[in-house]
Amino acid sequence: MYRDQQRVSSALRLILGFIALVATFTSIGYLPVSAGEASPRGVDLTGKAIDPLRATPGEPVVLIFIRTDCPISNRYAPTIQRLSSRYTGKAVFWLVYPDKAESSAAIEQHLRDYGYKLPALRDPQHSLVKLGQAQITPEAAVFDASGQLVYHGRIDNWYKEFGRARPAPTTHELDDAIQAALKGEKPQVATTDAVGCYISDLE
Amino acid sequence: MMRAWRPAGLALELVVAVAGSGTIGFAVRATSAPLTTGAKTPVYLHALRRMPEALLYPAANQKVTFNRDIAPIVYHYCASCHRPGEAGPFPLLTYEDVKKHGRQIVAVTQTGFMPPWLPEPQALKFADERRLNSDQIALIKTWVDQGMLQGDAKDLPPPPKFEPGWQLGKPDLVVKAARPFALSATGIDTYWNFILPIPISEARWVKAVEIRPGDKRLVHHANILVDRQELSRKLETSPGAGFGGMEIRIESELFDPDSHFLFWKPGTVPYVEPDGMALRLDPGTDLVLNTHLQPSGKPEEIQPSIGIYFTDKPATEHPMLVQLECDSQLDIPPGEENFVVHDEFTLPLDVELLAIYPHAHYLGKDLLATARLPDGTTQTLIHIQHWDLNWQAVYRYEQAVPLPKGTVISMRYVYDNSEDNVANPNHPPKRVRGGNRSSDEMAHLWLQMLPKSSPDSNRDPRMVLQEALARHHVERDPADFEAHYNLGAMLQARGDVGGAEAQYRAALRLRPDDAVVNNALGTALIGLGQVDEAMRYFTAATRARPDYFDAHYNLGNALAVQENFSAAAEQFRDAVRLKPQDADAEANLGSALAQLGELSEAKTHFVRALQLNPNHALARENLQLVEQMMAAAH
Repeated sequence: MYRDQQRVSSALRLILGFIALVATFTSIGYLPVSAGEASPRGVDLTGKAIDPLRATPGEPVVLIFIRTDCPISNRYAPTIQRLSSRYTGKAVFWLVYPDKAESSAAIEQHLRDYGYKLPALRDPQHSLVKLGQAQITPEAAVFDASGQLVYHGRIDNWYKEFGRARPAPTTHELDDAIQAALKGEKPQVATTDAVGCYISDLE
Repeated sequence: MMRAWRPAGLALELVVAVAGSGTIGFAVRATSAPLTTGAKTPVYLHALRRMPEALLYPAANQKVTFNRDIAPIVYHYCASCHRPGEAGPFPLLTYEDVKKHGRQIVAVTQTGFMPPWLPEPQALKFADERRLNSDQIALIKTWVDQGMLQGDAKDLPPPPKFEPGWQLGKPDLVVKAARPFALSATGIDTYWNFILPIPISEARWVKAVEIRPGDKRLVHHANILVDRQELSRKLETSPGAGFGGMEIRIESELFDPDSHFLFWKPGTVPYVEPDGMALRLDPGTDLVLNTHLQPSGKPEEIQPSIGIYFTDKPATEHPMLVQLECDSQLDIPPGEENFVVHDEFTLPLDVELLAIYPHAHYLGKDLLATARLPDGTTQTLIHIQHWDLNWQAVYRYEQAVPLPKGTVISMRYVYDNSEDNVANPNHPPKRVRGGNRSSDEMAHLWLQMLPKSSPDSNRDPRMVLQEALARHHVERDPADFEAHYNLGAMLQARGDVGGAEAQYRAALRLRPDDAVVNNALGTALIGLGQVDEAMRYFTAATRARPDYFDAHYNLGNALAVQENFSAAAEQFRDAVRLKPQDADAEANLGSALAQLGELSEAKTHFVRALQLNPNHALARENLQLVEQMMAAAH
């Protein structure tokens, strides 16, 4: 059903993701931030710099990268909200908007439109994008209680590619990763390819 | 009209109608039949009709730039939907817009997801094709790989101009859905039907219908079905509420002379029918707008409207929607990746093919339709290798395709019921059969054809085509209820009443309680002189559907033939109650009452019939007769 071209690029991205993952594992100490290095920060909607990994010590942190004009990340809004509600008090969710052109006012409107009740950060410097190794909106990054990146990738397998969605997802990688992080375990799947809009288009 | 009373001397004589209330029974298979669109080319397409081919290939030492190389492609293929208020989720009108989605555009053009155009390239061209060629796709990728250069401002072509508001100008009539539909934030795709009553007091000819489906980001496609008998209203829980359902069926008891596709999909340009092919709208007609809605992630409201453009030029040419289908062959085992169904139909006369609409549900994979001409050549009518229900559409040929008598139209659809089909609604896959629910599967091919000749000059060529089609369906699937009924109706229309009776009886064996077929069989039996037996079926029809005007009317006539005027009057009273505007029913009620000696009341009904139709000769003659009788009694 899918064209060869797409298969090739998808395979390439997998390999890259794997290399990146190895890099995280070997560079223990990259997180939490080493001395002298600027803490990776987002900016909240009032303009205050916030390091989401340090805001709530001892709890797993989930960053969800979205943008206001990405139809796939918008369709995920109810899923994201539902998942975050399920882990209230156990894991902390942050929405991260990596498009520097999206103003706080536009983001506040977006939160209202889509019924989000999550804290939101802007990430104009892509500091959190690098931290979470995110490439796509929507994409999730899960950090365990010690701040280690244990999962990054899709929320679930609802979308197979642009325009090709299952009626409902059949695997739930983000949920699985959070549950593993809560048990202090590594998730079985550490990284997956997400389907959506490319963050690199925003650079 | 044959149904009427004729005065003979002083006695009133009844002539019974042969066909149900003077109409030819005809069950149009109107499942989700679609669409329309067409014609006026919008300004922006005029401006950009010719892609600057020379600019597609920058010189070897030149880098690809937006202004010179990419903007013409984006303006031509993307901007009509990717602009505010249209279906595209973000605008693609400027360099900044496009740069912000550069890699995404590479990905979606390489998979063929955008621009959305399902058919493979073929010799028979479709109007308004929206397809990038491989050079254009490669050029976009090169541009992104080279860093998305903007280029020289003087290379930038003028931006596309769009008509604001209604694309065809101010409509003659705008009809808006009575109430919005509330689409939930999440969940699977929803199919919702809005009933749009058309407020006209006399028959009008329509040259175009522009569909404004509401928020275009949410509506994947929409099509209009013509409901001439207000049958859909029964599906609403309250008037104006609308009703759900992917495949809707509107049975028509009329031989619908105006078979047009009325369809909207993102980027659609409203179609203006050529002179002589207007759509007839009668008072009391409802248009039913069938919409496919996709949740966006937040709660939404959709309230469509349509704009209607009238013409003074009545239809002189009558296209038909011909449907091939293989639903009865659909019984797809779980896991089956290549389940094939096939059908062939030989044209009984010359036609021109105007448009085509292939339709399957979520398991459809590869949809092919071909025409094998009498000279042995084969033409691909449409081939969709990667079917996607979300992007179903009516495809109109750039030029009408002449298909001579004897051409074999063939459809071959392939289905994938494996786990690999992401659209598969069942996880794990399960057995799926043909049917109307979205969880069932379908294999339909609709063809809009203009019959060009009739082997029998006395017959409407559409009826020749319809009879051949119904016979084809009956031979292929003896359990096809509608085909038996339609074949019966066509045979009855050309005077083969015995043949019609056999087909109606076959249909009735499949659905003994169907009111329309019981009524039709009754009319055939009347035609054969078997009034007693006819009454059985008319009675069954009134029991099956107590609000069925035709059955009451015909039963009244049959009773009158047997001179049971008292019972006849009761049936005519029911008929008048069900259709107060029917002059014939009033006239016959008057006649039955006159037979019963109720001259004063009879007179009232003759007067009423004449108010409804001042040219009703029978009512006039009978009124005079009754007045003479009343005068004589004094």
